[in-house]
Amino acid sequence: MIPRYLLWRLVQVVPAVAGILVVAFVAVHTAPGDPVLALAGEHGDAAYYAFIRAKFGLDRPLPEQLVVYAGRVVSGDLGLSFVHGRPVAAVIAERLPATILLIGTALAVSTTIGVALGVLAARRAGQPSDLVLRTAALLAHAMPSFWLAQMAAITLAVGTGWFPVQGLTNARHAFTGWRYALDVLHHLALPALVLAASELALTTRLTRTGVLDALATDYVRTARAKGLPEQGVVRHALRNALLPVVTVVGSRAGLVVTGAVLVETVFAWPGLGQLLLSSVQTRDVPVLLGLFLLASLTVIVANLVTDLAYAWLDPRIRYE
Amino acid sequence: MYRFRLRDGVTWHDGTRFTSGDVKFTFDEVLLKFHARTKASMGGVLTGIDAPDDRTVVFRFKQPYAPLLQQLDATEAPIVARHVYQGSDPQANPANASPVGTGAFKFAAYRKGAEIRLMRNPSYFKRALPYLNEIVMRVIPDAGTQVLALENGEVDFLWGVPGPQQSRLQTDSRFKMAQTFYHPGGSNCIMTVSFNLDRPILKDVRVRRAIAMALDRDAFLRQILFGEGKVAAAPISSEIVWAHARGLALPAFDRAEAERLLDAAGWKKEREGVRVARGVAGVTDGTRLAIDFLHFPTFAKYGELMRQHLGAVGIEVTQRPLEPAVFAPTVFKDRAFDTNVISYCNGPDPEIGVRRMYHSSQIGPAPFTNAAGYRNERVDALFDQGARTVERDRRTPIYRQIQEIVVQELPYVWLVETPTTRAWAARCGGFRAWTGLFAEAAFCKP
Repeated sequence: MIPRYLLWRLVQVVPAVAGILVVAFVAVHTAPGDPVLALAGEHGDAAYYAFIRAKFGLDRPLPEQLVVYAGRVVSGDLGLSFVHGRPVAAVIAERLPATILLIGTALAVSTTIGVALGVLAARRAGQPSDLVLRTAALLAHAMPSFWLAQMAAITLAVGTGWFPVQGLTNARHAFTGWRYALDVLHHLALPALVLAASELALTTRLTRTGVLDALATDYVRTARAKGLPEQGVVRHALRNALLPVVTVVGSRAGLVVTGAVLVETVFAWPGLGQLLLSSVQTRDVPVLLGLFLLASLTVIVANLVTDLAYAWLDPRIRYE
Repeated sequence: MYRFRLRDGVTWHDGTRFTSGDVKFTFDEVLLKFHARTKASMGGVLTGIDAPDDRTVVFRFKQPYAPLLQQLDATEAPIVARHVYQGSDPQANPANASPVGTGAFKFAAYRKGAEIRLMRNPSYFKRALPYLNEIVMRVIPDAGTQVLALENGEVDFLWGVPGPQQSRLQTDSRFKMAQTFYHPGGSNCIMTVSFNLDRPILKDVRVRRAIAMALDRDAFLRQILFGEGKVAAAPISSEIVWAHARGLALPAFDRAEAERLLDAAGWKKEREGVRVARGVAGVTDGTRLAIDFLHFPTFAKYGELMRQHLGAVGIEVTQRPLEPAVFAPTVFKDRAFDTNVISYCNGPDPEIGVRRMYHSSQIGPAPFTNAAGYRNERVDALFDQGARTVERDRRTPIYRQIQEIVVQELPYVWLVETPTTRAWAARCGGFRAWTGLFAEAAFCKP
């Protein structure tokens, strides 16, 4: 009964998100630093600071601020950004597409290629090509993304001139239509590749192990014994081997908000990662809380989708 | 009283005529209410602004006010369009995100976190200017990526190139570089160590002098700035030529003399390592000579050299890196520090950027004011006199006296003057060093 299970899971989302919100609110407000000083600059006078404090309700006691904030969130209002002076939802929404594009591409590339390479490595287990793949995967997984990003920028961009090192679009030409799409893809290549590298390595290793385990099971021996072609055998084995891969890919969706901070910073990609970093630096509390909320919702939804995907991949799993 | 005659034939970017009413409205309703510096400096001495006709503006002051002409630039006194702002909350006006000005370039688009696009203003009041058709300002947070973007031909101009990256561009004929002391956030900046004069261990000027003498400021210049800049020779920047005092006796690097001063002040080296108090006024005997040093994370290297140089004379330094948003209230509101380092930008006139460091009315809570907590009635009076005196050659000796006093009393140690190195593609040129960087003569060959 998936609908009932789904309903139950959705009900659980409410206390989870509320808890995260309270913890985030308290953490952000008790962290040192004064958003008013960050906001009003170095030459304000006491009256001006008081004016700013009152304008954003920062002169109220913390519990009162929390109640007001929670009330607003329930009605769909995330408040006003201290720094941008506009609704938080709008500030986040204008950065969201760039990050979804980057993370989505990176996850799609790492999952498809990672699974393919994993199967390849499993089928050639013990051969030289397997060893090369495993070593490469280990290296890719071990390299820190910001270092990899800089190496990629120096070699693949400045070294060859093939790729740009910064931004979402070309600064010199404001393209439109399909040329705009091509321009964005051109700029997307390096950051997506760097972000995908480490995920790809993990997916490859998990798929390889999973497929190898599955290939050693009784049902595979039976399939082979009844003369099923090797392609079909691997397809059966892969379906069972994918469970851990799905778990990992699902949990990585939370990266949408946080994981790309370094890569976005190196490549000047105008997404949520950069927004998160600048909001921490300026103590833009409403934006930070909005980003935490979005991150927690993303993780919760991704986990839900992962659980549902289990049932589809493995008919033995049933949700009651 | 100052009387200004405005240019004829100047229009706002939306085609409306620019008049004296815009100037009066801007000061009365915007700058004197919301611009912290203009409000703090001019607000107290201005009696009123008149606009007797469309092209005349009159500023009436209670007393002579020297820095006005320096202050009337785009940073300190940007003029806004009355017809756009009248009757609205200036801080919430939609035009703040799509400004209407009178300048050489007009606003085209702003993509948050990505870029700002400006295009040539065809009806700019200086005919045939500007040369550039468009300016695109890119947001590139990482300094390394900025340099790569220039090398890769994606951008033409960089605001600042960090020291270690400069040698790469220096040897490449495709690029040019130049130093300037003008930064967008303020000009003529000096990296300055503040002493918290409220702390008993720092009250004795001998201890402050010993610290100043233990610091090898040439090493700061070499190791942190890679030689880019100069060791500060006076409390006021050498770039404010008429106010900078020459030939002052700043404490010179002399470790032996520093040790002697500390001994004389009652801080004894009993064993190897940190000195302890023996008969220091206001300090319990046996207290270790240990101080903290607050700095922005980006200034960590200053902390490392402080620790190294002061450690050599028996002073223990603990570094406390703090984000700007935390640093400001810790130092200026709570005054919870022994020493710190701040980039104090002097600005074009001592009244704008120097007064705040020394005048006793400027001790907190506003950030980047008198961090030392320095009080000296004579210095206060001299600053007030300097602001009232209009003739430059009469102001010079006033600021010289101030500098002679503070060099004796050492509320601060002035380390190094820090320029910025700009870099650009060699096919471009004509950038002005100060305000109006791109506005007039800047060009790029195709």
